[in-house]
Amino acid sequence: MNRKLQILKNTAGNYFITVTLVNIVIFLLGTIFRPDERFGYEAYLSPLIYAAVAFIPLLAFSLLSSGRELTLKQMLVRHILEIIALEVILIFFGFGTESLTAENIPLIAAFALSVLCVYALVTLISWVLDLRTARRINSDLELFRSRHPEQ
Amino acid sequence: MDVRITKIPPEAPEVTVIECHEITDTVREIEHFIKSRRGQLSCTKEGRQFELPITDVLYIESVDNRTFLYTDTDTYEAREKLYHFEDVLREKHFLRISKSMLLNLMKLRSVKPALNGRFSAILSNGEEVIISRKYVSSLKETLRNS
Repeated sequence: MNRKLQILKNTAGNYFITVTLVNIVIFLLGTIFRPDERFGYEAYLSPLIYAAVAFIPLLAFSLLSSGRELTLKQMLVRHILEIIALEVILIFFGFGTESLTAENIPLIAAFALSVLCVYALVTLISWVLDLRTARRINSDLELFRSRHPEQ
Repeated sequence: MDVRITKIPPEAPEVTVIECHEITDTVREIEHFIKSRRGQLSCTKEGRQFELPITDVLYIESVDNRTFLYTDTDTYEAREKLYHFEDVLREKHFLRISKSMLLNLMKLRSVKPALNGRFSAILSNGEEVIISRKYVSSLKETLRNS
């Protein structure tokens, strides 16, 4: 599988995990900060849109990057930069038209924290899925070794 | 250069003889190919020539257009490029795990997840190297089918 296809496949998986988590975040933040607000059916689209706003720049960055192998330290730096970029983009997207009032500040802070939590959870979930893959590889490795004992 | 193959009795030792006017790069390549088929790799360390048993090599890495062979304790340099080793050592269970690295699967102890869909390969000497996500599927396939 070529690199771009692999990136698209991974991003698609993470996108739908993110949509689910954004649903939970909207439920929690809405219940806490704006419990009386009511929406129409278009509200069902907002998790998909928020996740897309987050993933389009990440996907573009991944596809346009050189594909050079990053060290663990470089990968951590990349994750930190991604989180900062996501916070800026999503806060601007969610609250760009609203004025900064004392009432809004706790909501924006909770929103920023939620972005961080969703990012961390998506990373954790994909790591857990990779752990399952690693376990399968390790059991295949055991069988491989039994077929090819080292001389 | 002509190629002549002569059948010999089973009790006689098998030998490859190259008769040439000059030892060119092509002749050296043929020599290295035959040695690698026999289970040895020609390499150098601190200006000295070595014949390294393939079974001692953990992985082969290309760094700044140079090729290095790593064993438990030492690092050697080889003249050949990584793609040459990839071709020659496929049957010896060497597999590409990133753009710049071939891993000896016989030295792979286990695999664990790293960040971003990549995996860490833990080798028999405890060293860890990264498996790019692009090569994870070929690793799975090789372990299952070979």
